[in-house]
Amino acid sequence: MPDNTTTTRNVPAAPALQITRLRGDEDREPDRRPLDFGLIRRLLTYTKPYAAKRNWLLLSVVIRAIQLPCVAWVIGAVINGPIAHGEPFSSVLAGALGLLALALFTQINFHFRQRLALELGEAVVHDLQQQIFTHLQTMPMSFFNRTKIGRIISRVTSDCEAMRIGVQDVLFVTLVGMGQMIVSAAFMLYYDVVMLGVVIAMTPVMWGLNRYFRRRLSRAYRNIQESFSRVTSTLAESVNGIRVTKGFVREDVNSQLFHDLVTDHARYNMKATRTAGVFLPLLEFNSQFFIAALLLVGGYRVLSVQMTTGDLIQFFFLANIFFNPIQMLGNQYNQALTAMAGAERVFTLLDTPPDWQDRESPIRLPPIRGSVEFENLTFGYDPERPVLHDVTFAAQPGQTIALVGHTGSGKTSIINLIARFYLPTHGRVLIDGIDTREIDADSLHHQMGIVLQHNFLFTGTVLENIRVGRPGATDFEVAQAARDLGCLDLFEGLSDGFQTAVGERGGRLSLGQRQLVCFARAMLADPRILILDEATSSVDTLTEVRIQEALRKLLVGRTSFVVAHRLSTIRDADLVLVLDQGRIVERGTHAALIAHDGTYAGLARQFLEALASRPAPSRSRLPGVT
Amino acid sequence: MRASTDIASDRDGTELALGSGALLRRMLALSWRYRWGCLRLLALQGVLLWTALAALDLSGVGIDVVLFHAKAAKRPAVYPFGFTPPSGWTPLAEVALIAGAILLLAVARGALNYIYAVDSGKLIHERIVVDLRSQVYDKMQRLSFRFFDANSTGAIINRVTSDVQSVRAFVDGVMIQLVILVLSLVCYLVYMMRIDVGVTLACLASTPILWVVTVVFSRLVRPAYDRTRELVDQVVLTLAENVQGVHVVKGFGREREEIAKFGSAVQAVEDQQQQIFWKVSIFTPAIGLLTQVNVVVLLAYGGWLVTQDRLALGTGLVVLAGLLTQFASQVANLTNITNSVQQSLSGARRVFEVLDTPVEIQSPPDAVRLSRAKGRVDFDDVSFAYDAAIPVLQDVSFSVEPGQCVAILGATGAGKSTLLSLIARFYDPTAGRVLVDGLDLRSLDVADLRRNIGWVFQESLLFSNTIAANIAYGNPAATREEIERAARIACAHEFIAPLADGYDSVLGEGGMNLSGGQRQRIAIARAILLDPAILLLDDPAASIDPHTEHEILEAMQSAMQGRTTFVVAHRLSTLKHADMVLVLEQGRIVQLGTHAELLEVPGHYRTAAAIQGIR
Repeated sequence: MPDNTTTTRNVPAAPALQITRLRGDEDREPDRRPLDFGLIRRLLTYTKPYAAKRNWLLLSVVIRAIQLPCVAWVIGAVINGPIAHGEPFSSVLAGALGLLALALFTQINFHFRQRLALELGEAVVHDLQQQIFTHLQTMPMSFFNRTKIGRIISRVTSDCEAMRIGVQDVLFVTLVGMGQMIVSAAFMLYYDVVMLGVVIAMTPVMWGLNRYFRRRLSRAYRNIQESFSRVTSTLAESVNGIRVTKGFVREDVNSQLFHDLVTDHARYNMKATRTAGVFLPLLEFNSQFFIAALLLVGGYRVLSVQMTTGDLIQFFFLANIFFNPIQMLGNQYNQALTAMAGAERVFTLLDTPPDWQDRESPIRLPPIRGSVEFENLTFGYDPERPVLHDVTFAAQPGQTIALVGHTGSGKTSIINLIARFYLPTHGRVLIDGIDTREIDADSLHHQMGIVLQHNFLFTGTVLENIRVGRPGATDFEVAQAARDLGCLDLFEGLSDGFQTAVGERGGRLSLGQRQLVCFARAMLADPRILILDEATSSVDTLTEVRIQEALRKLLVGRTSFVVAHRLSTIRDADLVLVLDQGRIVERGTHAALIAHDGTYAGLARQFLEALASRPAPSRSRLPGVT
Repeated sequence: MRASTDIASDRDGTELALGSGALLRRMLALSWRYRWGCLRLLALQGVLLWTALAALDLSGVGIDVVLFHAKAAKRPAVYPFGFTPPSGWTPLAEVALIAGAILLLAVARGALNYIYAVDSGKLIHERIVVDLRSQVYDKMQRLSFRFFDANSTGAIINRVTSDVQSVRAFVDGVMIQLVILVLSLVCYLVYMMRIDVGVTLACLASTPILWVVTVVFSRLVRPAYDRTRELVDQVVLTLAENVQGVHVVKGFGREREEIAKFGSAVQAVEDQQQQIFWKVSIFTPAIGLLTQVNVVVLLAYGGWLVTQDRLALGTGLVVLAGLLTQFASQVANLTNITNSVQQSLSGARRVFEVLDTPVEIQSPPDAVRLSRAKGRVDFDDVSFAYDAAIPVLQDVSFSVEPGQCVAILGATGAGKSTLLSLIARFYDPTAGRVLVDGLDLRSLDVADLRRNIGWVFQESLLFSNTIAANIAYGNPAATREEIERAARIACAHEFIAPLADGYDSVLGEGGMNLSGGQRQRIAIARAILLDPAILLLDDPAASIDPHTEHEILEAMQSAMQGRTTFVVAHRLSTLKHADMVLVLEQGRIVQLGTHAELLEVPGHYRTAAAIQGIR
């Protein structure tokens, strides 16, 4: 423990000491849902394309439900008949061989029952995943902004998985189980009604026990999961912050805290263990109790000659077949509830219409010249709270427009509207004089290039990432795009040249390299309209120079909108739009705006203060920078 | 340190690879440490096994009693333990006695099972897992950064979570289970033999086949499952990147290509699964058939013996049928155990690797204690390399007086962050010495040294905890006044105080979102809470919007007061205040002087200044 001098007798500021303090995820998704026949029916429609497979499967299910009690019955019959009556070996053997034949048939049928179910489930999930993904592609940007990525991923992974189990297992295993119970009950009914009564009286007890403990167990497991996620997230932060921990000598404190956390986790584990420790023996006790009861009642009935010994033995075998599915059905029931919850979420997603859709017959843009106009445009992500007010401007083909303003002033919203990621609330965006509302999105996007701050790269090679700009481009064309930017040498100098793997999210490239890949991507697309959100993070000065050169080349001959963070970019722009709280407050060239000495001049000064080594430059000196 | 990642990854763990034999010995030693707990579990299992057999036997006796009295069998029932019911008893009383005994045994079994579950839970969850996790975590914190550079966060988390689980799986899943299994197989076998040797051998003739089929199957299928997992990961990755890169996908109108990409990823999974489905759907029925063949043999051979009156129907045939099922499931268990040996060994290797890694940076036995440093720092011909072949720093020498500010400039990979790391002794130099207050760092107590140093990193690296707890990270016992004072110096108080929860606002996921500048100001407050003599600022403005950069520049200025400060920076605005500017190029100091001096001479500094638009 640190024995440093700053410790005082006062109360420590953080009384409950923790490495991390996590908020409970309030909007946790429910992990199960009551059975809903609408959902089930809808899920079953997905088996339609595989109707032949499904019907064969159903047939094998019915056969299996009959086969299982039959096997038990044959065993009982052989014991009762030839064996109990002391018949010659040939008839015992005949019975045994009969069983063998039945067993063979049963297992062959089982092969189909299992394989067809697995294949059907996989096929349904495959179709669902495809459908979800395709649906996602039609969703506009607003959807992705309000939906957590984890949610989207779990729609395709865990929810689809739950539905797969629903189709593969729950449905058919339940059918087999229930059929098996009915058939064996019928057999027992044939032998002795009273004994069947005993068996049936036991059923609700087992079912009830099962439900009660399953519920308690699943609650206990959820608690374990929650405490485990506390452990892992603490670990993750400990690893990420290891420099801080070492730098601030916190190792001992953290070790103790982590020990407490793990001990706490063990406590939840023990709770579940105890519950399971009662439940499982209780189940076993139940079956023992059943044997004792069967023996007692059956023994009485045999001895008082109300029943034959053979029937008693039959009961032992058949009752097993009757009881076996109960525990399994309890399990399947839980799985079914999970599948329901998954299905509900997946179908909700599939039913969510995009916030807006292309017109019925949108205009396919011909090759455009690249003029962009905003006409009295008002826009809000939430229509109640506009972030752009009455914005009007026009960009001529080939011009570079710099957007300048504080965070939240509306720069990003403007580029989002040009890219048609959103539609204006009022007013219009015109591309070559055509309202973007009327335009076919694809035909616009294929003539547009976009480079954003995050410099997003896909896992894959440099080549593949550049080719996103134009999927049909040849290797030569990709190299040409890099050459045009003046950074061919840089890509070729990577360890494997254009074939260098960029790693997850481009992690194996430096920030500057990532940005140049994104530039090359836009260059390859050779768009008429270019949208660029400059990265703010600083790279070392020499890389910075290369980026600026590449940028200048990229902008040539295109209508470009740049959210500018670099003075050099702004100085070169044909038009600077200065935004403040969603309005254009000033417009003009850099020089004109500096001369005007308004908001922009103030911003530029602040900017220079951060950038330059001089004390705040006096106004008169500022033009000298240009 | 960023530069070191690639280099260090090659060296991970190679020197520590434990052979399987050595590993097994380590695991046995570990089990030995928990021997009493293990023995207790084994003893319980022994009793449980006995009760299981007794219950099965009793139900057979019950059938025989009924059969005998119903005149269906010629032989009287044979009771276990040489017990004979008093002759006056009615048959029904006998049956009732047996039923009662079965129930009694069942109750006893229930109780024993519960005790077993709780005992093994305590041993595993409360002792073994807690001990191992705490040990690995503690050790991990003390390892050098090489370890963290070489392993991804996910991999390290796995070492503490699932790898530890596989080590404990060795104790309870392999060691204990194996003993139980062998014990019960032997018991079953002896018990069955006692009933009838011939029938037992005939019925178990297929067991070796069962065993071989299971082993071959699991060998066959495991790689296929691994492949599926990889393909599923690919599907998830495609989806995740599609969502994260939605701007790119939409901006370039690449939806159709993305759908095709996802489609082929999903298709690959389905194709792969088809193979597995076929294998599984042949294996499971085959095993089922083998078990049923056993029953057929039993019926034919055992049945014949019954007709010859050489075997009882209840205690003989029916009990054997029950035992056969048990036996088959135990054999299948054996395969599971061999599989988990493989798994737990590879997990255990990773755990012991961490536990066995020597701690590189340690205080010497007779460490010099340093309560409050004055703040003089000297580099004396320091060279350093993460990998001997690629030097990161070469012959670096300079001296800094207490209270001075040193700015470090250089391209990515020039060695700036490494130089700072050496001051805090995160690494030891490969040659030369680093001195604080004239003392070689290697002679100092490491904790004392680091408490004299405040760090601000490129990324703020705050924890998901309250603002107060974050500022007090270096001294959890700090009072609220001390925390506030630090926050004021770091210009953070002004934005913390108006927050709804003030200093108790929780940061991070699900909590407050602060701007980059605000987060860095909290990081600065954290660095100066302990009033360190030396302050290391590793380009704190790197990821901050230039518009808001001035906020943290002010904080940095006030934090530097009265401390020896090293600051890595690209922007000259920061560099101009320094008493000394140090320009690094490929690990060497190429320029050293004040801002004004360096502007006068041609070189890297003047070039950089020119690019940034300064005279």
